[in-house]
Amino acid sequence: MFDKILIANRGEIALRIERACKELGIATVAVHSTADANAMHVRLADESVCIGAPPAKDSYLNIPQIVAACEITGADAVHPGYGFLAENARFAEILEEHKITFIGPSAEHVRLMGNKIQAKDTAKKLGLPLVPGSDGPIKDLKQARKIAREIGYPVLVKAASGGGGRGMKVAHVEDELEPALATARIEAKTSFGDDTVYLEKYLAHPRHIEVQVLADGQGNAIHLGERDCSLQRRHQKLWEEAPSPALNESERARIGEIVASAMRKLRYRGVGTVEFLHEGGEFFFIEMNTRLQVEHTVTEMVTGIDLVIEQIRIAAGAPLSFNQEDIRFDGHAIECRINAEDPRTFRPSPGTITHFHPPGGLGVRVDSGAYAGYTIPPYYDSMIGKLIVHARTRNECLMRLKRALGEFVVDGIDTTIPLFKSLIAEPDIADGQYDIHWLETYLA
Amino acid sequence: MTEPSGSLDKDLIRELAELLNETGLTEIEIEIEGRRVRVARSVTVGMGALPVDAGRSPRELVDRVTAEELHHPGTVVSPMVGTAYRSPEPGAPPFVEVGSNVTQGQTIFIIEAMKTMNHIPAPHAGTVLAVLVDDGQPVEYAEPLAVIEKG
Repeated sequence: MFDKILIANRGEIALRIERACKELGIATVAVHSTADANAMHVRLADESVCIGAPPAKDSYLNIPQIVAACEITGADAVHPGYGFLAENARFAEILEEHKITFIGPSAEHVRLMGNKIQAKDTAKKLGLPLVPGSDGPIKDLKQARKIAREIGYPVLVKAASGGGGRGMKVAHVEDELEPALATARIEAKTSFGDDTVYLEKYLAHPRHIEVQVLADGQGNAIHLGERDCSLQRRHQKLWEEAPSPALNESERARIGEIVASAMRKLRYRGVGTVEFLHEGGEFFFIEMNTRLQVEHTVTEMVTGIDLVIEQIRIAAGAPLSFNQEDIRFDGHAIECRINAEDPRTFRPSPGTITHFHPPGGLGVRVDSGAYAGYTIPPYYDSMIGKLIVHARTRNECLMRLKRALGEFVVDGIDTTIPLFKSLIAEPDIADGQYDIHWLETYLA
Repeated sequence: MTEPSGSLDKDLIRELAELLNETGLTEIEIEIEGRRVRVARSVTVGMGALPVDAGRSPRELVDRVTAEELHHPGTVVSPMVGTAYRSPEPGAPPFVEVGSNVTQGQTIFIIEAMKTMNHIPAPHAGTVLAVLVDDGQPVEYAEPLAVIEKG
């Protein structure tokens, strides 16, 4: 096991990792920029090292400074958290060259899943379901019709060199395919100078459902169920829950085993998340995150497994400490991201927190580095904490969340708390009837 | 106190600084005939688990000391995290001592980071008023290394 772990991150996740280290009896080193000298992750760590100026590129992304901080403190492993250097394969390699353990997957797997095209190819080889479509460019209408019949309507005609929605046309029925193909080609030609188009199944109202995996790099891998992260704004998740209101036990076991089996084939190591779009009972691979995620907490609440402790054990060379049969899913958990933002416009609201009172009581968890008197620096992301509630059923969980939101006091800045209070009152949220477009529509 | 009040008693500070190093203390404050002198150095690592109280933490105390040292316009701070060395090789005389006169660009420390030796030049010419780190001491980014009075 490691003697000392350096945490190459800040905020609530640095604190979260310190907690796991302390429970394992491992000493902690916090690193921080000059802007974070008074941050809670610095105050609660056993040691701290200032590694640079406020901009992330000069501090939290500054690899030489972080390696030097390991050298002067004698840290034998680095936990990257999420964001910053968590999915930087080069960082993992440099640490290895310096005989410091990167708490995460192999650099090779980080790189593989970081490349969209390679990730999709790999997913296909590993047996993960992809969005069905033409594997290559569409030659003519006849071929398009044939493929569209195979994959089923609606279909999406997509420009090969497209982006930003241009060169994309939906055909809901076969009659719409010819004009869709023609329009997409013209748009593609004028926008990108290339009229190559593909065909793909169109998902109108998908949910974002992701599967948490835990693997030891020795050929063992298990899944810890799914999280539903459909409530998003501009691809930013705001509310996550486990289990998904859209899945039943057998669907969960089926997709879970598909993912776990893929990870065994890959000989993946550490924690990872395979993200899918889910519609009509089917899953379609989006990407894989080769790191701990912000919303890992809801999985912890329903499984009782500390994912960071497992991550550290695995990085130290231990095999998985349980089998799939040992995993029990208990009750329901919801996480709300508390951001320093205007709850309607989402304009960032840096400033000083004058009063801070986190909610408590049974089944309530707050992961946050905020405190009264804390000044939120303007250099980093706006998330100041996470409220996680757990209860026996989804209904109880919603009532507990409503209660906890009512107790939460954060004065001096704007936060997303009022948004969550209004979401709780929405029938669609109470019924779990929402897709990835729901929140944007609600806010419009 | 023969010197007029307000001017710096360099000998006294030097004496206190030596005492600080000998004893391993981080701060000494004395008061003689109404004049108060405090000599302190910042501590980088090994602070132990810090209790968090409502008012101020030991870390803030350290930051305050650092800020005072930084207040001197001649303070030279570390541009990187690493291990500071005062001489070009073990056993060799130090680059500078308190009282040394330095020219701009002259190497005053070496900081080792990622097995690389980085020369730290004097940002301006002058007299070394204080050396704030020991040989082989780990330093943080922006940690004060020395004070060079412009001259």
